[in-house]
Parts: sequence; C-alpha cells; structure tokens
Amino acid sequence: MNSTRPQMVIILRYDIYLFFGGLFIYGANVSLICEDGGMDNGCRSQLLDSPDVTLQRENIAKGAAPIPARESVVRYQMSMKEDDYTYTQSLRVFVGTWNVNGQPPTVSLSDWLACDVEPPDIYGIGFQELDLSKEAFLFNDTPREEEWMFAVCNALHTAVEYKRLATIRLVGMMLSVFVQKQHAPHVRGIAVDTVGTGIMGKMGNKGGVGIRFEIYNTTMCFVNSHLAAHVEEYERRNQDYRDICSRMSFTKFRPPKSIVNHDQVYWLGDLNYRIVDVDPKKVKELIDIENFDPVLEYDQLIRQHNLNEVFMGYKEGKINFRPTYKYDTGTDNWDSSEKNRAPAWCDRVLWKGDSIKQLKYRSHPIMRISDHKPVSAVFESKVRVIDTVKYRKIHEEVMKKLDKMENEFLPQVMVDTTDVIFETLRFLEPQTKELIIANTGQVPVQFEFIKKLDDTTYCKEWLHIEPYLGSVRPGEKCDIRLEVYVDKRSASKLNSGQDKLYDILVLHLEGGKDIFITVTGSYERSCFGSSLETLANITVPVREIPIGKLMDMELENRKDGLENTVYPVPKEVWYLVDYLYRYGLKEANLFEQSGLHSELIQIRNWLDNGSQDALSSSVHSVAEALLLLLESTAEPVIPYNFHSVCTDCATNYQQCRQIIQQLPDLTRNVFLYLCLFLQELLSHSNDNGLDIKTIATLFGAIFIRDPPRSRDSQNSRTQQTLDRKKANFVYHFLVNDQSDLLAIT
Amino acid sequence: MANRGGPGGRPNGTAQQQQGGGGGGRICQFKLVLLGESAVGKSSLVLRFVKGQFHEYQESTIGAAFLTQTLCLEDTTVKFEIWDTAGQERYHSLAPMYYRGAQAAIVVYDVTNQDTFGRAKTWVKELQRHASPNIVIALAGNKADLSNKRNVELDEAKAYAEENGLLFMETSAKTAVNVNEIFQEIGESIVGLFVLVVGIQICRSEQSRLNYVSKIVYSLWYRK
Repeated sequence: MNSTRPQMVIILRYDIYLFFGGLFIYGANVSLICEDGGMDNGCRSQLLDSPDVTLQRENIAKGAAPIPARESVVRYQMSMKEDDYTYTQSLRVFVGTWNVNGQPPTVSLSDWLACDVEPPDIYGIGFQELDLSKEAFLFNDTPREEEWMFAVCNALHTAVEYKRLATIRLVGMMLSVFVQKQHAPHVRGIAVDTVGTGIMGKMGNKGGVGIRFEIYNTTMCFVNSHLAAHVEEYERRNQDYRDICSRMSFTKFRPPKSIVNHDQVYWLGDLNYRIVDVDPKKVKELIDIENFDPVLEYDQLIRQHNLNEVFMGYKEGKINFRPTYKYDTGTDNWDSSEKNRAPAWCDRVLWKGDSIKQLKYRSHPIMRISDHKPVSAVFESKVRVIDTVKYRKIHEEVMKKLDKMENEFLPQVMVDTTDVIFETLRFLEPQTKELIIANTGQVPVQFEFIKKLDDTTYCKEWLHIEPYLGSVRPGEKCDIRLEVYVDKRSASKLNSGQDKLYDILVLHLEGGKDIFITVTGSYERSCFGSSLETLANITVPVREIPIGKLMDMELENRKDGLENTVYPVPKEVWYLVDYLYRYGLKEANLFEQSGLHSELIQIRNWLDNGSQDALSSSVHSVAEALLLLLESTAEPVIPYNFHSVCTDCATNYQQCRQIIQQLPDLTRNVFLYLCLFLQELLSHSNDNGLDIKTIATLFGAIFIRDPPRSRDSQNSRTQQTLDRKKANFVYHFLVNDQSDLLAIT
Repeated sequence: MANRGGPGGRPNGTAQQQQGGGGGGRICQFKLVLLGESAVGKSSLVLRFVKGQFHEYQESTIGAAFLTQTLCLEDTTVKFEIWDTAGQERYHSLAPMYYRGAQAAIVVYDVTNQDTFGRAKTWVKELQRHASPNIVIALAGNKADLSNKRNVELDEAKAYAEENGLLFMETSAKTAVNVNEIFQEIGESIVGLFVLVVGIQICRSEQSRLNYVSKIVYSLWYRK
C-alpha cells in the first residue's frame, strides 16, 4: 500500500460553526485539527492569565482609563472566581518516547501504546532519530513521518476513538498528541513550536518540539526533546534544556506563551543523560538482578536534577526498569559492538504541575527494532472543567456589576432650564440668555450641541451658541450664551411665517445621554424683511396690520406677483429716498459711511409704527436703512430667476433694457426709481464726491443679490467677475436716460 | 470592548461581535430604543430593568437617556445600549435620531389609556416605514398592575401585535412583571435574526446558503 497517509478525521464542526455564525466568534467550541498543527481558534486562553487588568475606579473617574476595557475586566474577574465555577475531572494521560534509530516501523506498536487495559484520554507520543538521513537533516523532509504516524494511529487503544490534535516534527524529533473523541470539542488553543539546539546551536539534529493546547479549562504542554549526546556532555544537555525552555514560544498568543505558562507540562524524550563514575560491568550485574537503586545514584539526570541544574520544578517517577540504551538491534542484549556503550537511562518522562499522579513508568523491551527501548508513563491528571450553569450565573453577576459601574460612570449633567424663552424680539436687536451646564456625574463630560438628522447646522440661523462644545469636569459648570439676532438673512422667513422663533437644540454628552433644549420667542414683524409687494400694498405702517393678514399677504405674493399695487413703489422706500433727496444729496460719502445702530432702530420704529413726528436722523443711517430694507426682502429687487441673465448680458445695454422691461411692474418701478435717484445723486458728485463706479458696484450687489448659499461655494475670483458684471449692468442705467422705460407704466 | 464611538462619537449599537469569555460564547452589542406617548412608563421600564428600581414620581424625560445593560442568554451575552426617548409630542421629530440604526425598539403604551395605544400604533407604523428593515419591535402594554382601570383589552393588543409581527407583553414597571422577560425575548429574537443574517453572509455558494437557511428554518420550527 502506497497510500500510507493516515486517514485523520478532521473535526471541523462546520454545521455548528455556521449555525452560530462561527467565523466571527472566538468562543465557540470548535477544534481544528491540522496536519502541521498550526491553527485553531485559540485567543481565548488569554482570559485566565491576564496579569494586569484591574479595576481602577480612580482612573476611570479621572477619565484617564476608559471603561471600554470591559472585556479584559470580565476576563480577569472570571479568572479570579475560577474555583467557583469549575470542578475537576481526572484524565488518563499516556506519554511515550522512543528513539527509533532511523528504523522504519516494521512491527506493531500496540505492545507499547495499548498495553494497558484502560484506554488513556490523552496520548502524547514522541520519537527521536526518526530519520538519520542527510535529506531529513538538511531539508527537514522525510517519508518516515507518515510511516510512523500510520503505525501510531494503528496502535492506539482500540476501545475508544481518538482524534489527533497536532503533529510537529523537526528533523528526527516528532511529537503527536491525540485525545479521545469525546474530549475533542473541549480542546482549544492548539499551538506548536520547534527549537533546534544542534549544530551551531540552531540545527534540528538536537533540540525540542512542543505542542500546547487547552483541554476543558486546563492548559497543557507536551515537549519532546533530544538533548546533546556523549557521556561527558551533561552540561551541554543542561544547556539544551535551558535553550528549549527559553526559546520555545507559542507566538499566536499575545503575549506569546512559553512552556512555563501552562498548568501541566509533560516532558519526554531522549535526554541522553548517562550512568557515570561506575564500572559498566558492575552496572550490568546489578541490573541483571533488578537492583536499580545503587545504579540510579550514578545517573547524571538524577544528579543534575537534585542539584537544580536542570528540570527545576519538574518531577520524575521512580525508575523501576532496565536502562533503555544501548541494545543490539533486534535483541535484548547490551551493545556488543566495538564501542561497547555502557547502559544508560537515556529515555525519560518528567512532568510539572499540580494534580498529576504518575500511575506507571516503564520501558517496553519487547520492542526490538531500535538500539533504544521505548518508554512510557501513565498519569492520572486532574483538569478543571467549567460547570456551565455556575459559570453563567457568575458571569452574569460580573456583568451586572460592570453594568452598574458603567452606568454609574456615564456622564451626567444638570441644565438649569430646558426651556429658554426670549422676550419679544425685534429686527436688528440681539438678545442673550445663559444656560448653565453643571457636571453632576463622576466623570468629565464632553458636551456638544449636535445636528439633528438631515440638518446642516446644529441650530437655526438666527441663533448663536457660544461655546457650542466643550468639556466640564465633575463638580464644575459651564455657562453657555445663547444669542438670538434677527438680521437681513433671517428676517424675511420670520416675517412670512416660513420660520418661527422656535428651535429644539440637542445637547449631546459624549458617551451618554442627550438633552433637548427648547428655544422660543416671539418676533415683532417689521417692514425690514417684508416683501416689496406687501409694503406697496399696505397704506398703513406694518405694525398696524394683524400678523395673520401680513402672513397671508406674503403667501399671496409668493404665489403670483401682484399686477397692481396700491403704491407704485413701497412707501417705506419712498420715505427713505425722499429723506435722502431732501437732506443728503450733497453729503460726502453717502452710502459709504455706515449709520448708527441706535438710529437704525429709531428709523425701523418710525417706519413700522408710523409717526406724526418728522424723522430726525443722520442721512448716513437713513442710507444704510435703505440698503438694509432692500437686502432683507425674500426676493431681491431683480428677482433671483433673472440673476444669471442679468450677469450674462451685462455688457449689452439693449439686452439689459429688455430684461428690465420684462420685470413685474412693481420691481421695475423700484429699480428705475432708485436708478433715477442715484442719477440725481451722482449729478452732485462735485459736492458729495461720489464715484459712479462705486455706486454701480454697491447697488449691483443689492439689486442683483446672489441666491442664498451660492456665495459660499464660489472662489473669490469668480465672485469678483460676477460683482463686476453686476456693476456693469447697473452702470448702464446710471448713465442713460430712462424716461422712456418709465413711460411704459 | 464596549465600543461606543460611531463616526460622530455617538453610540451606534452596531451588532458587534466580540470575543467571549470561557463558556459564555459571543458578546453582541445592540442598540435598543424606547418609544411611546409621554407618561406611559418608558423610563420606569428601563429603570426597573437596569437598576431594579421604581419611582412613583418619575421625572419626565427631556431628551434621550442612555443606559447599558447586559443580558446573558443561552450562549450569547447581549449588551443593550438603551435609548429612552422623550415622549412629548414636540420632540417627535427628533425620534429618528434614536431609532435609526437601532436593532430593537420597545413601543410602550399605558393599558389604562386608549389614546396611548393609538399613539403606539403610529409609532409602530413609523418604525416599519423608516427604521432599519430588520428591527425587532416589541409592544409593551405597561401599567398592567392597574388592570382594574384597564382601557385597552389584552386580546385587542395581542391581535394587533400578531398582525404586525411584534413581540408583545403586558408589563408593569411597578411590580416588575414581564420587565426582564420582554428584554430577554427581544435579546433572543435579535440574536436569532443576527445569526441568520451573518450565517447567510458567510455562505459562499447559493447552494450552501439554501442549505443553511433551510436548516435554520427547520430548527426554529422544531423549537416551537
């Protein structure tokens, strides 16, 4: 039979795996058995020995350590309570080692591996000198691996079924671990490693191979080593042992695990320690009468072990069998070759860990194909098994405790009010209120007023919040300034009822709750922000019209531009222009110098309330009020839908005239009325020093206002070009006679 | 890790899978939102579930309270990120901020008040239209301890829940009846759904997907 590859069953419980969405789940009870022993789902084992995770309440409270270390905390807490949810179960562990001297397996191995009545739960089987060929040494490649594996698999105890967990080989050293099928689902975290200590201290002719895994809740490690040869080289052997200990590393774990990081370690192999300082003849005599004790006194390993030079912390059972080396192959006779090697207990099994009891320690002289005899040891090892019911209960308790703490450490604040109410608000008159955010919790709070779904800003444009984000330490507070201010951008929407002085702010605490703050106020309508149509259609001041009616009128205007208005231009425009005409024609810097805020308020009141008294204000404030009135409307004088045609044909006077002819009567009147006034104003440039280009630019921007937000998206260069075109457009109407256009009306 | 940072640092409760502790299986994190008319007992239900407490005069929630609570199910640990929303009508428009991205919702009404049941139905409709299509919705008829003042019949609510594929229980935050149970049931049903979705995603071929789904359907059927 050529296909001698053992038919290993790979337990990949794919059905269960899938059912629990296993590929994403680390905790599922699956064990992957692989030919080179390289993989599985092992990160879990970290849970029992995370050394440094402690609950640092203080740090959490200071905000230095975030609670999200939760998973490691759970692991740590659970590991502290391990005794409460685990019980012990005894497993029979069979450990075998054999230096096969490069021979193929021509005999059955069952006399070695299945010589006991009771089947072991775990097998750890190691070979040395599996293949002595150069190929094996240089390329680490040998057909012997399969042959011996096949022989092993066929010789395991037949009373039960076994699964192979892993096999690892370095040149001639091979180690395989098998467990009974019933235990396989409880095995996790399989990992392997090799350490060469041979030629140059690196090569694999000597050294060790290891397999580690967890079975139930106990970690196990098997190490098979072949230490340095030659009688006098015991210190080299000690050194090899130390090298294997320090260099063997299961790197799939973070941090990587060493041999020492396991609950139970089984160390087997051809350790090569000899019997010295005694005449070999004497040794053979004593052995023949099975009087081993006097001979053991000369055993190098026992001596070195007692001196703590090697295998510190390990135990070895009492040797009650003949030395396993060196025999004439095929016989039970001591080496009869020229070298006439002295007998030695080269092949040994040691262990480390609590709850391990050695039941048997023996050699198997009947196996005669090598110059060594195989050795085996049987242990009764106690492993910790999780009591699922208890585990869940304790796990739940830990979780609850953490929940409690987590909730306790959520950011908490008090705000002095969730309803911020402003008094009557008027155009251009800001009002502020304060909101106090007090941190009443145990952790620093990061707060932020956040956008509501689908909103682009966290508050309405008439509201300003300072600061809108920040942090507050426990026991401290932060004052938030809420300022409402209705200006030319927001006035028209509030006038028409399209917007209200009402906003709900979402104050979000990072990692915690949201608080809703309602901001309300009533807005006193003004001619500023009213449409030209409305103003041209009411004969009384704005304040004398009921709000409902005002809103209706704005809605009407929006639907269709009115054909006939009561006045040809809004009276407010006329009042302001008339004032300028009377008192301002010769004023230097008119429209260039800004007015006084208090006078603007005065003008606003005068226009909105109507007054018998004459307006007394500086012409500069009146000029600014006029600009503001034209800028606050929902639609500019030249409506938005004419915006691009105006700028497109700005160089062509005739086309510009045609556009003006197409305008609705009212806006055309306002436009021409203002242009005529500006012509008049410019005719006094000797007195007022005004420059036509400046005026054209200023009024270009007002007559042909850019649609909202379009300004943000343009770069300054295109904006400059656009502004120049608008100035061009207006310029035509400042230098040409417009009386024929007026005549149309 | 109790990862709470969505893109905007907001809890987003994505159904995260985490490494579980020994024997505890997976840990899933879910976002759950409570909706319903004001004063039906949303905050009281959460308080009972999370802290085991009940306050006769629970303050009105102005905003959205946030708490977490873990439930250990068969082999999964479910961590709920609970958003308890304000019930007042004026905050209605803000509700989507909280139910968007939620894996579960509890719509609460007051068994003594028929109006709140009507409001609950509108919430269910809104969720069915605008929330995530996989959202698990539970209907809770709270204040079940006041059954002598009952105005919403158990059968009526049950029938409605069945028609709309909702989990349903009458609960009492005051006496703790069915409070843990409703969260438990939500957890189980989310986990079931989640497993189904993930399972389907990892099946590479059409055939394996089909096999998988039929297996799930079979097992669910069998369990009933």
